[in-house]
Amino acid sequence: MSRFIHAASLAEALAALAPGQGRVLAGGTDLMVALRAARLSGGDLPAELVDVAAVPELQQLELEGPAPLVGAGLSFARLAADPGVRARYPLLAQAAASVGSQQVRHGATIGGNVANASPAADGVTALAALGAVAVIASAQGQRPCPLGELISAPYQTTLRPQEVILGFALDPLPARTGQVFAKVGRRQALSVARLNLAVCLDERLQDPRLALGSCFPTPRRLAQVEALLRAGRPGPGLWQAAGEQAAAHFTNVCGWRESAAYKVPAIRRVTARTLAQAWALLGGGS
Amino acid sequence: MDLCLTVNGQPISLAEVPGEASLLEVLRGRLGLLGTKEGCGVGECGACTVLLDGRALNSCLTAAWQAAGRQVTTIEGLAQGGHLHPLQRAFVETGAVQCGFCTPGMILAAWDLLQRNDHPSDQEIKQALAGNLCRCTGYHDILRAVRRAARWLREGAP
Repeated sequence: MSRFIHAASLAEALAALAPGQGRVLAGGTDLMVALRAARLSGGDLPAELVDVAAVPELQQLELEGPAPLVGAGLSFARLAADPGVRARYPLLAQAAASVGSQQVRHGATIGGNVANASPAADGVTALAALGAVAVIASAQGQRPCPLGELISAPYQTTLRPQEVILGFALDPLPARTGQVFAKVGRRQALSVARLNLAVCLDERLQDPRLALGSCFPTPRRLAQVEALLRAGRPGPGLWQAAGEQAAAHFTNVCGWRESAAYKVPAIRRVTARTLAQAWALLGGGS
Repeated sequence: MDLCLTVNGQPISLAEVPGEASLLEVLRGRLGLLGTKEGCGVGECGACTVLLDGRALNSCLTAAWQAAGRQVTTIEGLAQGGHLHPLQRAFVETGAVQCGFCTPGMILAAWDLLQRNDHPSDQEIKQALAGNLCRCTGYHDILRAVRRAARWLREGAP
């Protein structure tokens, strides 16, 4: 049986986590499924569930200025609806709106999405494109940790039991960008993405960003595709070449597994189409 | 420590609720509110939808203790003074109920939508109900029911 602790502040949450026997509960939408499975299989339950939903430090949302920060405790419903997120980081708002269902988005948080570390997590792909660095707190202080180091393998993180994710520092972006989040799944709601893609283009293609999810064990931007975009002339030819490059990167990293027969052409076409959409948002032709 | 929460307007206090217990388990097992259904138990089907402080969520994915000090509304709490809520009436009148298992969750998810948007498009209704599975009706009459309830509510139905 787990003891439930309502943390009213970051200090309370960290004190409750300090012995290392607790689990952080934010929305609960992934953790409750895991606890249910543990109970049904006679597995161990955490000694404490530390509810951080009321911790003000996790609810920060700072989008303007040189150091944008998105609090780990913000729900997907909030991120999807927030006018500031929709204006500055629309790909994050789109990813948030595509998570689960209305009911899931009311509880589920961006921090929980990262801590759960599913390779198909929509929030993770969006954060990867935005250069997110997690800010992690423990009783010893705070440390920054890039997303790619925090998530070490499918469903595994380097987060220690005494730590909690405070939020994510994002790269500031130019005033005008074309951002699109795309997702391929079996059902409109609640589908685990078979493929998700976050794209952010600037007008001169100086800093194109492209993150592909549900394809690799850990989150990543596709540096080779981004280099190709920086060097090329915007247009259908370039978008198609980028799609080829993204698909090639997938098979290089993951090999030709069964799902590749579907995923390779899907990556190629979704990448080309999403780049064209992002460019069109900047007023460019397809 | 007792778990204190308000369910359908009634203050409730429950002893010895384990931290890992879901809100769904407590509603059904401890309070006997069997209108809230368990379909999948993992947040895929929406049959366990309830309102927590007026927002729809899956009670199977919510720890009971997350509801401490808050307002929970289940399908049993929707009718007022012996009168069905317009959503409930619309579901009955349009034949949007067949086996009925998904209906409480559908109605509460629709309630959340209509509270935020009193004139939703079909697309908005479909999006709001996308987390609720129905295996009987084919959804057509559910959509009609929500449209009809929205109209009644706009026209000031009781």
